[in-house]
Amino acid sequence: MTPRAVTGVGVASALGVGREAFFASYPGGGPAGREDRRVETFDASPYPNTRLAEVPAFDATKHLGDKGLRSLDRLAKLLVVASRLALHDAGLKRDGAWTPTTRPWPERAGIVVSNAYGSLEAITELDRVAVLEDARYINPSRFPLTVSNSAAGYVSIWEDLRAANVSVSDGNCGALDAVACADVLLDQARADALLVGGAEAMSEALFLAFHRLGAMGSSGDADGPFLGEGAAILTLERTSAATARGADILAEVVGYGTSFAAPEREGALVHATPVALEQAIALALGDAGIGAKDVDVVVSGVSGQRVFDEAELLAIERTLGGEVAVFAPKRVLGETLGAGGAMGMVAAIAHLQARPQAAGAPVARTATAPQPSSAWVRGALRSATRVAVVTSVGYYGNASALVMRGASR
Amino acid sequence: MSPRVFVTGVGVVSSVGLGREAFFRALSSGASGISPVASFDASPLGRQNAGEVKDFDPRDHLSLGEQRRMGRCSAMALAAARMAVRDAELLPSHLVGPRTAVVLGTTMGEAQILAELEQEWILRGQKAVSRALIPRYGSTLLPIHVARALGASGMVLTLPAACAAGNYAIAFASDLIRAGRADIVVTGAAELLQELQFSGFVRLAAMAPDKCQPFDLNRQGLLLGEGAGLLILESEAHAARRGARLQAEVRSHGLSCDAYHITRPHPDAVGSTVAMRAAIERSGIAPADVDFVNAHGTGTRHNDLAEAKVVRDVFGDRRVPISSMKSMLGHCMGAASALEAIGCIFTIETGIYPPTIGYETPDPECDVEVVANVARRGKSDVVVNNSLAFGGYNAVTVFAKPGLLPPIPPPPSAEGA
Repeated sequence: MTPRAVTGVGVASALGVGREAFFASYPGGGPAGREDRRVETFDASPYPNTRLAEVPAFDATKHLGDKGLRSLDRLAKLLVVASRLALHDAGLKRDGAWTPTTRPWPERAGIVVSNAYGSLEAITELDRVAVLEDARYINPSRFPLTVSNSAAGYVSIWEDLRAANVSVSDGNCGALDAVACADVLLDQARADALLVGGAEAMSEALFLAFHRLGAMGSSGDADGPFLGEGAAILTLERTSAATARGADILAEVVGYGTSFAAPEREGALVHATPVALEQAIALALGDAGIGAKDVDVVVSGVSGQRVFDEAELLAIERTLGGEVAVFAPKRVLGETLGAGGAMGMVAAIAHLQARPQAAGAPVARTATAPQPSSAWVRGALRSATRVAVVTSVGYYGNASALVMRGASR
Repeated sequence: MSPRVFVTGVGVVSSVGLGREAFFRALSSGASGISPVASFDASPLGRQNAGEVKDFDPRDHLSLGEQRRMGRCSAMALAAARMAVRDAELLPSHLVGPRTAVVLGTTMGEAQILAELEQEWILRGQKAVSRALIPRYGSTLLPIHVARALGASGMVLTLPAACAAGNYAIAFASDLIRAGRADIVVTGAAELLQELQFSGFVRLAAMAPDKCQPFDLNRQGLLLGEGAGLLILESEAHAARRGARLQAEVRSHGLSCDAYHITRPHPDAVGSTVAMRAAIERSGIAPADVDFVNAHGTGTRHNDLAEAKVVRDVFGDRRVPISSMKSMLGHCMGAASALEAIGCIFTIETGIYPPTIGYETPDPECDVEVVANVARRGKSDVVVNNSLAFGGYNAVTVFAKPGLLPPIPPPPSAEGA
């Protein structure tokens, strides 16, 4: 593919709000996902030993002011905050206003954002009224939130983005697919700058679904998976356009691949397979025009869900070898579902900019064994990190991979 | 030069019939798919009519295993996908592999499954929530089910672009082929009629008492509908290799966002006008080349006013014929613009403009050339499909008779391709 420049990052995760908060803690992590933190988004008392990773003390008013926020749910607030940060980080906006450049901005800027489950918060709120009282009493001002593109719609209103506004849904792979979608839109000149990434908001319904399946959040297992939330947004532009406006290029996206592999068993729906990710990585390397040995670090989607982790690590080993350094941001941030791949991209930028070392956080080479609170899985980092592969594996046989490289300076 | 993109097959599950022939017959005759809702009790809401699909039985289209593992929305999508594959005369060998993608639109996907789960939880507590049902929810699943059934292993993607989802899916699917990332894309959209949305539109005071009358002076709002409209998009080279019949060319599209209000279109229809102008310009044609506009035409006061303004702004004094299929089908939300895209294929193939039924009194504020009540024959070389959605979304696609127009111009940015 034609390389695309990442010129800005906006992130809200268990590590806090803003890219500096992320870079300061990643990959060491901190108290994220620990069971001793009070759950902020819902009353967790019916669920003993809850373990999840919310954006701590998230307060949208700090970033957006206190007017006009009432109609937004948590998902929209997280996404608007991350989007605003990404636009400012890219220098496309200053103090809330588009910076004067050669491009007619609002009309040429859009968003492509992944989300897996929509606003379960709003849907549950309306369903409670409909089921327990009467459907005639549901709050009409909350109804628009039930469509899963409403969060991206609110970003357009708050940030004045008038080009394509695209929501994508492909479970855990959605955020990487959003990049592919954005690449196609840039390729076809449908926009000049796109906010790209993903968002997922914690809610009791979301937690309950994974809790009922026994898939997440038992505090007895320090290595076990837990749900996270947040929004990670990257500003993506044609490299030539970014260079022309003098933007600071944080990294480039240079290759992409996605694949789907059906289960062999007729009755199966959810299934873990290395096949799709092997194909996705091979396609992504081919798309980037690089070989396996060029890859310095893999930022995986490993989350602690054992069968999926095994499939993912096997695919990585088969395509990139057993020596390559593998990280798993979800060990620190939790499983953020539709945002997961975008969190992985932010982590990849941290690696490509050698931020972890600079920030004094633990480096893979010096650790003796993976720590539960660290994102390091295996392999040793090379002296310089130039190429990162970000991987995501979905629950239904889908997988995606992205190749990023450090900005040439 | 970007590859040209063609529609080579269509499949339909709708309230006016299943499959191409039934759907085309209904569009010619101006049949109504509106009837009292049977799948839930709508009476407390004071409304009863919708374009509910009454004669779709998953058993006629799906294997037993497929019926067990998917909800009704996916079942409609898969049934329509199979019809489209047959219509395109595609062999399994054409579809298997990484060059076939599945890109589908929807608003709520398997909303019925979510509603069941929520009912269990709200009425009987968390331990009553069915474990078996949870993995079957998620809009992610629509293209997964279709890809699995067809043997496709390329991109699987859902675009939940609310009521413009069908056009969004077709727009992105065609760009995917133009960018060289797929040879075949199975695309379109599916949507279920479901109680929560029904209640929501009633509470927004957007639902008409019993009929949907787009552009009529006395229009009282929309009626909801459901269904699935799927299309096979194929690169010119792939279609030529297998000798496929080309039904229409997907010329180009325009996507924009009002950045104004979460549900209401901008009163000056700025974003919608931008999208329609972009769609026409990027198609390498002028407004004068457009023969017919398949309208969004929901029948709400705000929508039809805004849309009439767009048509006047873009086409000027020329009274381009315009019609809303929602008068027959109701508003099938995510699936609406996909079904309307298939309506565009119908117009291109037959030279017939589908009528806006129930049109009684012209609205001077909606001063457009409505194809009133009875289908009309006319030139049908280039047809525009308009759509708008919650979130301020505007999406416009352009279809043309195959082999008529020169290749579309390359993207305006020199570095784009």
